Amino acid sequence: MKRRIVPLVVLAGVLLVGCHPKRPPAVLTDPGRTAREHPPATATPEEQPINEGPDIRPLGRDNPTGEDFSVNDQSGENGPLEDVHFDYDKAELSDQARAVLEKHALWLQNHRQAKVTVEGHCDERGTVDYNLALGDKRARAASEYLVSLGVAGDRLRTVSYGKEKPLDPAANEHAWSRNRRAHFVVSR
Amino acid sequence: MAAVAFAAWRVRATAAPQPPEDKKVIITGGGQRFAVPDCLPRAGDEASREACRTLTQVLRNDLRFEGLFQFVPESLFAALPPLNPESPNFEDWRSVGANILVIMRAQVTAGELSVETRVFSVDGRQVMLSKRYSGRAENPRVFAHQASDDIVALTQYRGVARTKIAFTSDRDATKDKRAVKELYIVDYDGYNPRRITVNNSLNILPAWSPDGRALAYVSYRQGTPSVFVAHIYEGRSDNVTKNEGQSFAPSFSPDGKRIAYSSTRSGGSEIWVANADGSGAHRITSSAGINTAPTWSPTGQEIAFTSDRAGTPQIYLMDSEGLNIRRLTTVGNWNDAPAWNPSKEYSEIAYTARLEAGGFDIAVIDLASRQVRQVTAGRGSCEYPSWAPNGRHLVFSCQRGRGATWQIAVADREGRNVDTLAAGAGNNVQPDWGP
Repeated sequence: MKRRIVPLVVLAGVLLVGCHPKRPPAVLTDPGRTAREHPPATATPEEQPINEGPDIRPLGRDNPTGEDFSVNDQSGENGPLEDVHFDYDKAELSDQARAVLEKHALWLQNHRQAKVTVEGHCDERGTVDYNLALGDKRARAASEYLVSLGVAGDRLRTVSYGKEKPLDPAANEHAWSRNRRAHFVVSR
Repeated sequence: MAAVAFAAWRVRATAAPQPPEDKKVIITGGGQRFAVPDCLPRAGDEASREACRTLTQVLRNDLRFEGLFQFVPESLFAALPPLNPESPNFEDWRSVGANILVIMRAQVTAGELSVETRVFSVDGRQVMLSKRYSGRAENPRVFAHQASDDIVALTQYRGVARTKIAFTSDRDATKDKRAVKELYIVDYDGYNPRRITVNNSLNILPAWSPDGRALAYVSYRQGTPSVFVAHIYEGRSDNVTKNEGQSFAPSFSPDGKRIAYSSTRSGGSEIWVANADGSGAHRITSSAGINTAPTWSPTGQEIAFTSDRAGTPQIYLMDSEGLNIRRLTTVGNWNDAPAWNPSKEYSEIAYTARLEAGGFDIAVIDLASRQVRQVTAGRGSCEYPSWAPNGRHLVFSCQRGRGATWQIAVADREGRNVDTLAAGAGNNVQPDWGP
């Protein structure tokens, strides 16, 4: 299946990096189409139900986050799935990170055509080579947790950027904490 | 140190059949002092004089950089009678303490520069080297670099004046595409920058092939970070790891036939070795966690790499088939980016070390004694060392302070004479010193 990045998401992601958050929300699919894609009660093998868990339930069609993507203001990059953050030199998922990923799994359950590139990023306070491997570890940790929540692995791919593509180029604790992240680029 | 270098100094110049004639000369012993008077233009035109000014400056800089020679201060030359380039008065040069006299003459005619370099033994009163170079006059620096390398070839070492340094820079990134990095090469002294990649993507971690005709690097141009090999003189670039997993940190074996790199093809980040065209790829490490940054020993029989298998990033050694793994670094909690000195004369590995809180420094570990010497200190954060082909100098990248741009710097292998290269705008990082 040929993958195509949704133009509006890309446009917003490219143009609005670091810009003022006043912007229209990105829309991946039109509501009618999304509605048709909602899983049937008994899922086909390629549409596996996500694991039952306390925080996971199918979103109703009237749930705004199910139709209109939430704008990811935290990262400044317009995408439906917010970033997951990590501690310095760590690739382990915090409870907070897991909670965010559980939301993502839910969203992915409701957007069955969406594919996600999970990007792993690091802050600048590490070496080039090791950070590229650390970024991969972060992306994989996020990706593997999504798989454990029932997201099909073939909908996910991981790419590490190490410290090569910081979200915030500033050199302070705030910027570093924003740059230690898994970032989710949605395509279909 | 210069004295040590000179203890083994031998000059061997092969005789050329036609004049100007080279004579076979062997000089032993230390304390050789060079006199490099101003290049003499063969004609009075401004182009010839301008070429001579550049040649003088570049040749002096090149010879000084090598760290092999001592020099008679140029201020002493003014007191000497005018130099007769055909038949120098050796007594004049002996009187200022010179043992070796280098005479350059140059002329620009119809856009063609011709340079003659003659090296005399002042004590032996004879020509040790005589070379004539001619070519297009656009870049006189390359003539001086050639002359310097020919002079250094009289020692046991290979000069670096004609070598090049590859690196990556964001200088051509635009505001809307901040993650663009392209590869560039510069002469060893930072001059003559040329852009290599033009794909408006993220291109990082350049690594020269031993013949200097190709650069392996990692490009994100197809989405997945993959190892490409750019044949820089043919203008062709091949994706050699073919997006099978993410691939990073390519390094050519000393014979140029293989590439080691790290790949996530089998899950975690492991070291892989393939033929230079990417065929025959096989994994040579298998450990949980991170394995990356392979560098080959001068024989090609061993590989050093970074692994966090013991909890923190440390440098490990193994043979090139992945057997006999042992830990090398034990000082500090973050050691990465090993670079094996390519000269068999020095058995040592440079790497990036966090020796103090905060930034990184360049360190070198002696493989026999395991003693660590710090190459950089107090220069902010420095990382990613790479050796000159003769193993006598290092290049790396430093950031003077938080928020400052990263700049390419060079130092000798003891960490003296640290010098920042004026290699151009932007953040210039991940240098690799090529042939």
